[in-house]
Amino acid sequence: MRLRFSTLTIALAGVLCNLSPVDAKQPTKESGAQPAPEPAPTQKPVLQKSLPTSAWHVWSDAQNHSIKAELLYLDGDHVGVQTETGQFYRLNLTKLVPADRAFAEKASRLLSGPKIPAQEAAAKIDTILEAALQKKGLSKNAPLGEDQFLRRLYIDVVGRIPTAKELGAFRDDPAPDKRAKLIDALLASEGYHSQQFNWLADMLRVKDDFGKGVKAYVYEEWLKEQIAANRHWDALVYEMMTAEGRLTSTGPVGYLLRDRGMPLDNLSNTLTTFLGANVSCAQCHDHPMADWTQRNFYEMAAFFGATEQGFSKQDLSATVKSLGLDKNKIPKKNVLAAVLAKVDTLPENKLTFPKDYKYTDAKPGEPVQPKLISWTKADATNPAFTTLGKGAPKQWREDFAVWLTHPENPRFAAAIANRLWKRYFGLAVQEPVSDLDNLSQASNPELLNHLAAEMKRVHFDLREFQRVLLNTAAYQAQANPVPKGDDGPYLFAGPLLRRMSAEQIWDSVLTLVVGPELDRYKLKRAEAMKRLDIPLDEAPPAEVKAKLEALGQKNGALKAKAKQAIAPEKTFEGGIPPNFEGLTLARASELPQPSSESHFLRNFGQSDRDIADTNSTEGGVPQILMLMNGEIQKVVTSPNSLLMKEASKRSDPTEQITLLYQSFLGRSPAPSEQEATQTMYQNGLTAKDLAWVLLNTREFLFIQ
Amino acid sequence: MKDPLHKLCPESRRLFLERCARAAFGVSLLPLLDTPSALGAAATLDPAGAPARAGGASNAAPGFGSAKRIIVLRLDGGMSHIDTFDPKQGPSKGPKGAISTKADFQISEFLPHTAQVAAKLCVIRSMSAKVGVHQSARYLMRTGFEPRGTIKHPAIGAWAQHYLGPSHDTLPSSVCINRNSDHGNGFFPATYTPLPVIDPDAGLQHSVPYSGIKSIEERLKLVGQVDSTFQSRFPDENVGAYNDFYDTTVRLMKSKELRAFDLKMEPEALRAAYGESKFGRGCLLARRLVENGVRFVEVSSGGWDMHNNLEDAMEDTGAEFDQAFAALVSDLDSRGMLQDTLVAVTTEFGRKPDFSGSGRGHYPTVFSTVLAGAGIKRGFVYGKSDAGGGKVEEHPMSIGELHASIGWAAGLPLDKVVTSPSGRPFTVGNQSRPVHALFA
Repeated sequence: MRLRFSTLTIALAGVLCNLSPVDAKQPTKESGAQPAPEPAPTQKPVLQKSLPTSAWHVWSDAQNHSIKAELLYLDGDHVGVQTETGQFYRLNLTKLVPADRAFAEKASRLLSGPKIPAQEAAAKIDTILEAALQKKGLSKNAPLGEDQFLRRLYIDVVGRIPTAKELGAFRDDPAPDKRAKLIDALLASEGYHSQQFNWLADMLRVKDDFGKGVKAYVYEEWLKEQIAANRHWDALVYEMMTAEGRLTSTGPVGYLLRDRGMPLDNLSNTLTTFLGANVSCAQCHDHPMADWTQRNFYEMAAFFGATEQGFSKQDLSATVKSLGLDKNKIPKKNVLAAVLAKVDTLPENKLTFPKDYKYTDAKPGEPVQPKLISWTKADATNPAFTTLGKGAPKQWREDFAVWLTHPENPRFAAAIANRLWKRYFGLAVQEPVSDLDNLSQASNPELLNHLAAEMKRVHFDLREFQRVLLNTAAYQAQANPVPKGDDGPYLFAGPLLRRMSAEQIWDSVLTLVVGPELDRYKLKRAEAMKRLDIPLDEAPPAEVKAKLEALGQKNGALKAKAKQAIAPEKTFEGGIPPNFEGLTLARASELPQPSSESHFLRNFGQSDRDIADTNSTEGGVPQILMLMNGEIQKVVTSPNSLLMKEASKRSDPTEQITLLYQSFLGRSPAPSEQEATQTMYQNGLTAKDLAWVLLNTREFLFIQ
Repeated sequence: MKDPLHKLCPESRRLFLERCARAAFGVSLLPLLDTPSALGAAATLDPAGAPARAGGASNAAPGFGSAKRIIVLRLDGGMSHIDTFDPKQGPSKGPKGAISTKADFQISEFLPHTAQVAAKLCVIRSMSAKVGVHQSARYLMRTGFEPRGTIKHPAIGAWAQHYLGPSHDTLPSSVCINRNSDHGNGFFPATYTPLPVIDPDAGLQHSVPYSGIKSIEERLKLVGQVDSTFQSRFPDENVGAYNDFYDTTVRLMKSKELRAFDLKMEPEALRAAYGESKFGRGCLLARRLVENGVRFVEVSSGGWDMHNNLEDAMEDTGAEFDQAFAALVSDLDSRGMLQDTLVAVTTEFGRKPDFSGSGRGHYPTVFSTVLAGAGIKRGFVYGKSDAGGGKVEEHPMSIGELHASIGWAAGLPLDKVVTSPSGRPFTVGNQSRPVHALFA
């Protein structure tokens, strides 16, 4: 195995005509003269087993600059390449000659690990599951019927129920492999992006407002773009860890700025979320249950010791002063705070042990040297752990990111695989997903181990990994109720019965009212935020001053015009979403993050995004009041809703009843139901009443 | 990391294995050995009739069952003890100094209204814990237990509902204001979960029935018919919880006491006294609710995580709290309700003595809590921190002891054990003892 990441440096523009990477820290200037490949300051090389020699290639742009380098991966419009001297670059294929793309596409097929069809990979998982079940004298559940499969798949993958029309199309499809085909189609659709964003937003605590006028719109849209481009998980996480710049222009810095001023909390979340390392207690004292010590925690935090996340009050007043601005005339709070929110790397490590450090192995206030946590003795020889934290402090954060996202990191692949399993089966292989310190606690350790290996095999391509899970017979089996009592670990004879997430219920209800064209409406706020971007360090002071004064009022607030530009309602692409009963009928992913506390979404359990993984599927009285008497019920039963319009076109009650059943429940009424409902129709029940009834069934809320 | 099982003490190892077993089925609904009916709703408020002696205290210990109603004010983020109820001079001093009160102790200048009612309060200045992370600390303060694995522990309101039964026949027994309910039921049935009221001014929304052609009963009957196949196939606890919520909701919609949720029925002067803030409205609603039969109300206030700009935040969030809290205590007292209503001011942890820059970091080592009413001593300070506000100097009090004390006041059998299938015992306050010195 060849280790390449140790020489990772920051590339710069214009490298094509200069094979020796020069000063890595020099900021990129937009000279315009050289349409060079874009620099790759934050992309990490994927560790490859010895590459075929055919991966070497001379990459060229239209201006005839060229570089000889080895292809490491192809990621949408980008390739990751590495030169003979070990320098790593991320190149934009759209700026290179067409032959380069052709080469990359061909070579990448050779590069990727054993390419196994998803069905074959799924069968392996089924074998492991069946062995575990058999040992206990159990067997897997019967396969799910066609209608129920369709409904489950739509809700899980695209976050909404299927329409009656989609149900009909699937029923009519004679193809024997129509399930696999539908999985592929849905994974390639807009709805998948939406659902994937909601899932990540809960995990990463994505929120619009970082406080003090700092808005995260650029970060949020960057995240959506990564999802749409199917950016691989390791590359995505690596970029969030290592990004630098202002939040008004550089999306991925949002991850670190999320906990501006609280780098230790941020790290605690990072370790818990991406590795399942249960360290949060060790932030203040040795962990009472696990082996993590406070020293371990601080040594990990030292990797960020030379990183500055955010701004202080001093930054604000220093900036005001240095620009010679009138304190009363500049936008003190909103604009300046937003502009100053940035991630920077300092030359020195600033982290010291806390003043109240009470253990004998270090003194309070003593500087902390970085050191990685490890889980077992075997980690000492694990390639993820080599040559880290030994260079200059400014290099440490990158070292951490390399280790964190390294395919051989003992937990990184398992953690995300375990989380995705939970998403589709209702229960993780090891619970809770935030504590994987002892992998032998998994309900089926062999399964978790295999899933982690699969995650590595697909190079952290989450879409491909989900394709494998969705193709398992286990996923396509009938659901079980949540087990109770002491039955021992659940061995996944099928998925557990789950209530839809808040986002899934909302998007499903909207599908009834608006239809699948719901996916047209895309919230776009990043451009507006980018217009507020002021390059404080680079632009001439006069320009900065003029820009600041143009944006702000005397009291420090944004001027109305600037405010309007970033107001959520005004910034949809694809048209203004319909508004019924004061509700903006756009996908949950296209609404404020999170929604206001009184919104339907929060009522049904959308996370407040303060704490990771807190989306809830618990019931409550306000939910029932909402479904029985609230706006959402009015929206669904309104004569302007798509569903009621369609229903009114059907004069035959049988057809009308069938349409309503299919629309809400993804199935036709049983003959006895049809008959009973018709009798009630004769006694005055209307389509509107029936819609109310179906909305209030448990069958509607749950995923069978 | 070494093999953790080797390092654990026997108790931890058992807990570890239990987590392992429980991990497979998520939040568990434990078959409870104790049932509310074994106690009965009436058996409890009278110490003589109480079924179990709590905390091993003698029958003569005061305060048991003195609280018929409980209002918990939750200051989310971590209230700085030094800038509120435990002011300090010297290096730890914050942006403001101390002021004298109507009692013989001082509090921070940030709390002028509270100073006026200090003679009705009991300030605990020696709270101490080890958890300095928001999520875990908030959980610990709300339940008396540190989070462990996937088990969810109940808040006091759910314990009370378990031991004392529902507090009203149509209104909920627990309500939480300004925040979603977030598992307040713990391992008790989902219907013990507090009813959330997110906007106190709006009260209970959507309680006016949809007017269809058919009556609600007829429509719900049809819902039952459509649902019958699904329901019989999935004898699932979450489905069952939804069924229960439908029943509870229909009862609530028909309740004559729904006006308890309507703040418009309060006189304008009183609304003004509580303040125009959401927290002030929440406190006023809490009073209305307990007055009408709700036993346990939590009111949340956000914005206490004052790492930066503490002064601004205290003048904003702190002032809202000050006005509302003082108004609540006065209002309850003037109605004669303070003697059997317990008001508790809780937070996640304190904040560091080190006032560097413009704020303070998290600090669980010592912090303050305030109790008022229901048999609690008035104008009293319990415990003491050192001169810098960095250590407990006298009478350290744990969060478990706070829970046991509130449980004692509520008349809950603290020694009674609710046992999980794997044999792990749970008690109110996690086996802590009540602090009898708090009670008059």
